[in-house]
Amino acid sequence: MVIRIAAVGDVHLDQDVVGRFRPALEELPDTADVLLLAGDLTRHGTESEARCVATEFGGLGVPVVAVLGNHDYHCDEVPAVIRVLEDAGIVVLEGTNVVLDCTGVRLGIAGAKGFGGGFAGRCASEFGEPEMKDFVRTTSAISEQLGVALREMDCDVRVALTHYAPVPDTLAGEPPEIYPFLGSYLLGQAIDSAPTELALHGHAHAGSERGTTPGGVRVRNVAHPVIKQAYSVFHLHPPYAGATAGKVSAVSASGIS
Amino acid sequence: MAKRDAEAGAEPPDDYLEAAIQRLLTENTEIAEQGITVTRRDHSVVLCGEVESAQRREEILRLVLERFPQVPVTVDIGLIRTQAPTEVEELR
Ligand SMILES: [Fe+2]
Ligand SMILES: [Fe+2]
Repeated sequence: MVIRIAAVGDVHLDQDVVGRFRPALEELPDTADVLLLAGDLTRHGTESEARCVATEFGGLGVPVVAVLGNHDYHCDEVPAVIRVLEDAGIVVLEGTNVVLDCTGVRLGIAGAKGFGGGFAGRCASEFGEPEMKDFVRTTSAISEQLGVALREMDCDVRVALTHYAPVPDTLAGEPPEIYPFLGSYLLGQAIDSAPTELALHGHAHAGSERGTTPGGVRVRNVAHPVIKQAYSVFHLHPPYAGATAGKVSAVSASGIS
Repeated sequence: MAKRDAEAGAEPPDDYLEAAIQRLLTENTEIAEQGITVTRRDHSVVLCGEVESAQRREEILRLVLERFPQVPVTVDIGLIRTQAPTEVEELR
């Protein structure tokens, strides 16, 4: 049984965008089992912008599962933003997971916003000033939650959903100097700690579409400016890693610190 | 800072002007765009990238002209397409 996943991130909605995605979204019940939103749903995180997201992505006829992005945090209205989205039936994951039944196949989605820090050999360290330690600890804590959320699911197929990038591959096109603000290898390590089938993220507007984690999990950057269409659709074919456990990497649960 | 910005148009745009425009585009909540590149040409700056609506493109031009009136600005910003995909990616 093929699982059909539609996904887009970085739609940055406000009043001026409402209605632009809707014609393409109306096709979803025929073409996808679920729509995943990879964060930066609003322009700068106000409750009224969240209402625009609810209008555009609510009542689609397929389940909608989202994570928030940095833009959704800007106005410090996160609880209100989440409430508006959830009232519209959108599932918001913040270091949590959800298992959906897709005609007999249990699709597990674990999601977290993620944060920056950079990638192996070129990353920030939990050392020095309190501000720097806080920065790295924020990423560590979120990554740890993501790893637990992925591993604890009882499902056949695992998908990881983040806003920040788990690998540098999908950042190609961005200035290398800003990679540490675009993602962290700790997210990739969390994804590799479970038999994950696919990892989706956004945030890197000038990045590229395809990459893989060191453990071999396929990564896709679905930021709207990258995919240049309303959403992308991925067909996941069996056998699934979760069912066969064939792709579990050597990273242990305690490897993320 | 504001005084310096206003004077910057008399000479070729410098690094500080580029940074100031970049910050305006990101931190002004009327815009809040991180995906616009600011490139210096000999006697002007080019704003390049893609946004979600035509109003946003106009707002970017309006705010940059208002804040940096003496800088010749070229706007090369497109709208991100929102059509349904015509192909799916098969992951086996
Ligand atoms: Fe974004
Ligand atoms: Fe972002």
